[in-house]
Amino acid sequence: MPINFTVSGTRSRERLRSRRQQTPCPGNRDGYHHALLRWVALLSLGASGGLHADDSFVRDGEAGFVLSHIEYALSQDAQETGACPEGMSSSVSEIFSRTPAGRRRNGESDADYAQRLGKGGKALATGPGGEDLCQHPEAGKPDPYFHTVEQANIPAFGIDIDGVASSTGAAPAPNTCPHDDLIGMNGEPGIDNQFFRVVGCNRSFQSTGQSNTFATEMLTGSWGILLTLAGVDDIYNDDSIEVGFYSNADPIKLSPTRVPLAYATYLSDPDPRFRATAHGRITNGVLTTDPTDVRFHYTVNSMLLERPLRRARLQATLSNDGEIEGYLAGYAPLEELYDLKFGFRNGKTSAGELAPLHLRSLSSNGAAFVLGHTCTGAYHALYAHADGDPDPQTGKCTSISMQYRVRAIPAFVVDSEANAAQAKVTVVSE
Amino acid sequence: MKAWEKATAPGTSWRCRVGRFLAFTGICLFFAQAAGCGDGRPHESIVEPQPVGGPLLVRRLTESQYRATVADIFGPDIPVAARFERGIRAEGLQAIGTSESGMSPFGVEQYDAAAQSIADAVLSEGRRDQYMPCIPAAGVAFDAQCAALFFDRYGPRLLRRPMLTGEVDRYVNLAEQGNARLGSFYEGLKFALIGLMVSPEFLLRIENAAPTSENGGPRQLDAYSMATRLSYFLTNSTPDQALLEAAIAGDLATQEGLARQVDRLIASPGFEKAVRAFFEDMLEFELFDDLAKDPLIYPAFNSDVAADAREQMLLTISDHLIKQDGDYRDLFTTRNTYLTRDLGIVYRLPVATRKGWEPAVFPEGGGRQGIHTDIGFLALHSHPGRSSPTLRGKAVREVFLCQEVPDPPANVNFSVVQDPSSTNMPTARDRLDAHRTEPSCAGCHKIMDPLGLTLENFDGLGAYRTRENGAVIDASGSLDGTEFDTPQGLAQALHDHPETPRCLVEKMYRFAVGRDTVWDERAYMDYLIETFRTNGYRVPALMRTIALSKNFFVISAEGTPRDEFTSTGLQAQEGGRS
Amino acid sequence: MSKISRRTLLRGAVRGAAVSVALPLLNCFLNDGGKAFAATGQRIPLRFGTWVWGCGFIPEKWIPATTGSAYVMPEHLVPLEPYRDQLALFSGFDVKLDGVPNKPHITGCFGLRTGIPVPDTNVKAPTLDVLVSDAIGRDTRFRSLEISTSGIQRSYSYRTAGSPNPSEISPLALYQRIFGEGFQDPNSMAFKPDPHYMVHHSVLSAVADDRQRLMKIVGAEDRQRLDEYFTSVRQLEQQLALQLEPPAPVENFVMPGAPPEVTLDSEMENVMTTHRLMAGLLARALQCNQTRVFNVLFSDTTSNLRRSGTTTTHHTLTHEEPVDPQLGYQREVGWFAQRSMVAWREFLDELAAIPEGDGTLLDNCVVLAHSDCSIAKAHAVEGIPAMVAGGGDRIRTGFHMAGKGDPVSRLGLTLQQGMGIQVERWGTLSMDTNRTITELLA
Repeated sequence: MPINFTVSGTRSRERLRSRRQQTPCPGNRDGYHHALLRWVALLSLGASGGLHADDSFVRDGEAGFVLSHIEYALSQDAQETGACPEGMSSSVSEIFSRTPAGRRRNGESDADYAQRLGKGGKALATGPGGEDLCQHPEAGKPDPYFHTVEQANIPAFGIDIDGVASSTGAAPAPNTCPHDDLIGMNGEPGIDNQFFRVVGCNRSFQSTGQSNTFATEMLTGSWGILLTLAGVDDIYNDDSIEVGFYSNADPIKLSPTRVPLAYATYLSDPDPRFRATAHGRITNGVLTTDPTDVRFHYTVNSMLLERPLRRARLQATLSNDGEIEGYLAGYAPLEELYDLKFGFRNGKTSAGELAPLHLRSLSSNGAAFVLGHTCTGAYHALYAHADGDPDPQTGKCTSISMQYRVRAIPAFVVDSEANAAQAKVTVVSE
Repeated sequence: MKAWEKATAPGTSWRCRVGRFLAFTGICLFFAQAAGCGDGRPHESIVEPQPVGGPLLVRRLTESQYRATVADIFGPDIPVAARFERGIRAEGLQAIGTSESGMSPFGVEQYDAAAQSIADAVLSEGRRDQYMPCIPAAGVAFDAQCAALFFDRYGPRLLRRPMLTGEVDRYVNLAEQGNARLGSFYEGLKFALIGLMVSPEFLLRIENAAPTSENGGPRQLDAYSMATRLSYFLTNSTPDQALLEAAIAGDLATQEGLARQVDRLIASPGFEKAVRAFFEDMLEFELFDDLAKDPLIYPAFNSDVAADAREQMLLTISDHLIKQDGDYRDLFTTRNTYLTRDLGIVYRLPVATRKGWEPAVFPEGGGRQGIHTDIGFLALHSHPGRSSPTLRGKAVREVFLCQEVPDPPANVNFSVVQDPSSTNMPTARDRLDAHRTEPSCAGCHKIMDPLGLTLENFDGLGAYRTRENGAVIDASGSLDGTEFDTPQGLAQALHDHPETPRCLVEKMYRFAVGRDTVWDERAYMDYLIETFRTNGYRVPALMRTIALSKNFFVISAEGTPRDEFTSTGLQAQEGGRS
Repeated sequence: MSKISRRTLLRGAVRGAAVSVALPLLNCFLNDGGKAFAATGQRIPLRFGTWVWGCGFIPEKWIPATTGSAYVMPEHLVPLEPYRDQLALFSGFDVKLDGVPNKPHITGCFGLRTGIPVPDTNVKAPTLDVLVSDAIGRDTRFRSLEISTSGIQRSYSYRTAGSPNPSEISPLALYQRIFGEGFQDPNSMAFKPDPHYMVHHSVLSAVADDRQRLMKIVGAEDRQRLDEYFTSVRQLEQQLALQLEPPAPVENFVMPGAPPEVTLDSEMENVMTTHRLMAGLLARALQCNQTRVFNVLFSDTTSNLRRSGTTTTHHTLTHEEPVDPQLGYQREVGWFAQRSMVAWREFLDELAAIPEGDGTLLDNCVVLAHSDCSIAKAHAVEGIPAMVAGGGDRIRTGFHMAGKGDPVSRLGLTLQQGMGIQVERWGTLSMDTNRTITELLA
């Protein structure tokens, strides 16, 4: 279940605040001194590994984290914001049911009608050459029943990625295509979140839907995401740090009540495609990074998939007990995003081979049916809203702005069992 | 039997037992001077005093001994499907409880179930070939000879002595009756084996005296009872074939022959199991069976963490004492440990190894030093939802220093103690101050709390903390005159406490013989302690000293009421074939 | 109508041969009088059990203002109102210490159960339940069954010091012990004595042959321990012997299903769940004569019960919670005391849910419920609360009686007499009594 974020502040932020109040250093200013004191204490211990205290999530300037929550940055439900005046998108069977041939016949039983709707839907999901349109969405026409968020001043979660607020009439930022920015939940302009425009009128992306609860799968351990910080001298203000983004090679550790546990050790995925670093900084407790290309694992129906984000940047608060909360924002390449979320065309087996066609086809068509969209609709809507990485030849954008809301808790991130064991020995011996 | 300690201060209350160590420190100092302080080598002038010994005992096998015995005789893959009764703790040790506990109907029911699962497996179609010394002849109603060979082989192993005259026949007859009713040789054999494994002489170690020695010296255990004591003390399991043979051959009667066996057992893999069995007993690890923590307050706790916390201490102990042959006292100051990933979460330390254990060193200055700061100790002596300086102080005193802390007086007015969540008294120290200032509580709490409060930087699960309810924790305290304000200070104080090695020696000897020590054995205890000291507080050396000492095998004058019976009654059925 | 024993019908069955006799539950087996006679034609046995909760009570919420039968149910006993007529309340009965040091939560409990206060768990006499089981528990599969519902392996049923009858703590383990291997459905229409039991039985008899030889070679104390071992072996033999006879059919018996896995800890709601499950299984076991004696430890005498997410246990609260100035007692402790009485009610519900004869199983049980102390914060053993529920035709209930400082051994004495044991005196020193509580005997 997605965490119940509210517009003005999150429940967990309130929790953090109350926790800070327990310490004698609640404010930033005092917190700064607090941190300084702590680091003086740490440094005085030399290289032996530092304080073993409640809040010492940074040791020798390094810290690790595991994502404890992730979801797409979207908005409140369309019903509340009025973002979808034409209603929600439809599945192929729903579309077929609106055609004359799709109407229920007199005396037709529920079962017969459902079977006929399925058949009719399948015909709509099949291309002119008999191809499966989920696997070949480019062969289909744009779906008029696939609705998207088109108004300008719709509020959405996220940050201003490209540094340009479209409402000011300014020229598009380099490496982007013209698009209407959204406004932030607190009214701030310039929010780049075209992915929300694409999926915002899908019922599965409303708060009651199933498309934004993929973090529960993370808690089963099938995939996970790690972060690291290095070169940290001060957790409130530090103008130069290194941030690592890795896929987790270990399942996340949970409490008996299924809450992720802090300070577990995780191995980062050794595959370089799933490792990235970026330069960053902390300003008044807010951690931001320069853009970097990241890629994480994902699974659907036992197929291995990939979750890429180009020019991704982290913008998040870092609390004094080591909790990170904020946005991971960037541009998702359209074809890969379509595969991740709708088509599964590149789904692999655990042996690393392309999954059987029937599995990919059934999964994508089944998902479209259950979640209430069409593959062609999603595919063409992605292209229609693309705002990043214009093709040098055609000038058409090939990626789309997309943001995740993430929370992370302290963890130990190691590179390999052997190397890390040595590293650890040097950390704890003197 | 009169407890050694009880007699030390006649007329004084039990409540004063904590002060007992002072009396012994005197003796200890005397010896230290006489022997020329700690040159680390066994001193020639240290000789074992005249043996005193103890009574013949009937000791029940512990669960771990039962399991090890079955594994040694039939193999480790034989299932023991039973739920054992929990051992009784007497005088601080379950080992002493084995000489006192009875056997309830439930207990026998469970032994019977265990015997069934073992016999089922041993004589199952797939496995029987590896156990059967013969193939039962086909075409006869019952191959009694083959059945006899089976009991010739396993009877002595299970009963730890040669079979008595007619004893094999008895089990063969049972097998034959079973065969007649069930129409299967192996089914008959199986039930006869169950009978053997439910027999009191398998489940109980019934000790026997050797015939009166001709030179009129003190009586001692017969060779098989000696072998059994040695084996369970040094390997926590049944005598192996070589030890039984040495017993039959009379080797244990000579000091050289005895030393050969003792050294062989100490060098065997079973020795580590014995050391572990001792510390499991000393550290009261049966409490792990009841250990529960509130999942909301301690989310990192689960049954895997509990199992790992237990194993962590045993790994640390056996590595330090056996592999490193380290000084026992250093167990209270060492930062060397072993971790799993699950433990790493509680200790907040990285553990690269994905499955299993890796050696680790607790960070210096991090508060963890000594096995008493392992979560296995801290969590065990806490409440389900919070720490307990009182329980921890009591445990340190009783477990490591052999000081008995009296029970709280029954009718205390506790109303002086305020609400634990009160903002006036955020920390345990604040709350316990009330106890320590209330006269009726102060006597005991002054003994426990200053010690336990130094461990308050560890919460009820044992995770490090600097604050409780927002207030900074003051971890200062004292132990019998030594003051400190960190867990490291406590570590050093425990390391240096004169009672620390003395208590270990006391418990080890009582563990070995399964009874409390008696007043007349004080000279022997001083001998052990002094040898322990001159050997640099090496535990394997201490166990060797005990195993080689006369006192270990001698039967005290009042302990030989069974003069009717001697091992002359043990006539090996076929000339000591076993 | 003459009584027909169903066993007579089966007598003569060839050992080892299948006996398949259709035995309808004939109405003629019901005695004309009905009461206490089951379809088996056998008298329904009277069972005995104890139900222990830890850390006493809040006197002003528990002790009725008046004695006799017309008392008003005090607040904490309100859940028990439906059982008013099947319940006798005892207040003001003391464990007399005679100078024996009061080991908190132990001395009171054993004093009540053995008639002799002890400063530790080294009982000097068998506990009441063992005395009763010696009299009525011999011809059932289990001499007694012990359960503990708060995740703690503990029992206050002792034959001698050092050998408590250990408790089952998990519903599943209890289920398997009773209804797993070796259980014979009493209403199963086919009965085939398993020859394995015969062989097993004779093997155990042979083990007992060692008795003479071994008794000679051990000292006096160990002789007693060996004797206990052989007694236990004999008990096991008897269990096996019972397997060779067809079980007597039981009216309304339904084989229970395996209970679900539950969280075994001391959190109150988990304990209530565990307790309900285990009480239900125990009731079924009593119904089909697997045992006639039981001991339930709802919460340990140093009660580790706690509310989810709180740092303190019931026991620690009794010492640490300040007295609420408005209420005049410890509020949280009161909550635990009250919930304990709800659990007691639920226990009685399980017994009363099983019809037996023309009443319920509860009518054929005598259950002594008691705690280890009265006011836990002072560890007072004076006025330990006790209740007797059920009764059969031997025990009379439906009243509140104030002991006014009488030794609580009067209750133990009377219960033994009610269970048919020939005993005139019980207890030692100030606890020694021959004063039967005549009100309790029918």
